[in-house]
Amino acid sequence: MFVYEKTLQYPVKITNTNPKLAAIIVSQYGGPDGELGASLRYLSQRYSMPFDELKGLLTDIGTEELSHLEMVGTIVHQLTRNLTESQIKTAGFDAYFVDHTAGVYPTAASGFPWSAASMAVKGDLIADLTEDMAAEQKARVTYDNILRLSDDPDVNNVIRYLREREIVHFQRFGEAKRTRWKKKNRAADNMIQPRVIVKNGSWLFSFLGYHILQIERKLSLLVAVFLYDLGTK
Amino acid sequence: MYKQNHHADNDCNYKNGMLPECAPLAVPYVPMQGESIPQYNPKEALTRGTLFPGLDLPWKNVVNQTGAPDTPLGELMALGFVIHELGLYLDTHCDDTEALEMFNRYVELYEEGEKRYVARYGPLRQMQAGGESYTWLCSPWPWEYGGGMK
Repeated sequence: MFVYEKTLQYPVKITNTNPKLAAIIVSQYGGPDGELGASLRYLSQRYSMPFDELKGLLTDIGTEELSHLEMVGTIVHQLTRNLTESQIKTAGFDAYFVDHTAGVYPTAASGFPWSAASMAVKGDLIADLTEDMAAEQKARVTYDNILRLSDDPDVNNVIRYLREREIVHFQRFGEAKRTRWKKKNRAADNMIQPRVIVKNGSWLFSFLGYHILQIERKLSLLVAVFLYDLGTK
Repeated sequence: MYKQNHHADNDCNYKNGMLPECAPLAVPYVPMQGESIPQYNPKEALTRGTLFPGLDLPWKNVVNQTGAPDTPLGELMALGFVIHELGLYLDTHCDDTEALEMFNRYVELYEEGEKRYVARYGPLRQMQAGGESYTWLCSPWPWEYGGGMK
């Protein structure tokens, strides 16, 4: 479950209204490398992760991304505070305004609404963690680009903070990919192809069959077939 | 398999990490951050976006000068951030007892600070909003201008 904490992870206090900048920064809310995609990517990838440290890391970083989503939403909200009639006509913001007024909507700066097609859940440890590392780098570049486009110090403080978090996450994802390797000494093959468990027959067959298999494979095969017959009747 | 950074040669300081000497092919590697590495204090950590100077790689070397305000909530935010950052570190370094001790110490500080903050300024979580009146709805909310500055 999730519990809301009534504070931001890093303070956001933006003095000057700037709708044009808001229309750029909203890309980190709902764009292809934004915080919404990041949180859903990690929190969704958790389910197929085979090792505890990966379940933990994806939960923790996915949760942090939700707090970043809130921070980016806060920037967009505060940049569009007290808009004047001339400000809503600002080139670059007018197209956003006509659909969303001063609401915060998950869209890319290009106007393309947030899409799950911008993230991936492959269900494979190496593929997913490699995706995550690439995602962190893409988010970092987007923040670089925002810093290139923005000259508002209140905004840039927050953006620099968010950018640095991407670097730390990249490091942790990279480390996570080899913790098993470290523990088991070169047992990397196990993690490249995690075993896919396909369940057949009834629960009784699965449970008893598994334990008996541990004791004597040949004998248990016969017993398991017998149990399977029982279980399906 | 991995040498610790602080035992390593001078050319491998806290800004570097260890790579396996003989690594399996076709698996990407990121150097493992070593143990006993330098750290910022909580306020500086929140301002810069990381607890670890070795991971602090700002764009064009421009560094934030201000982070959390010097307020009770600002202090709590800084402690909460350090706990989260240490948590991520422990997720990939769960045997580092020194980091765990630090984690425990910051959690203790956070819990004390949180109790004082909630008593004086109001709830951070809904379950703290009871008492004589229901205080959860009191403005400002974190995203509002001037919110989160107490």
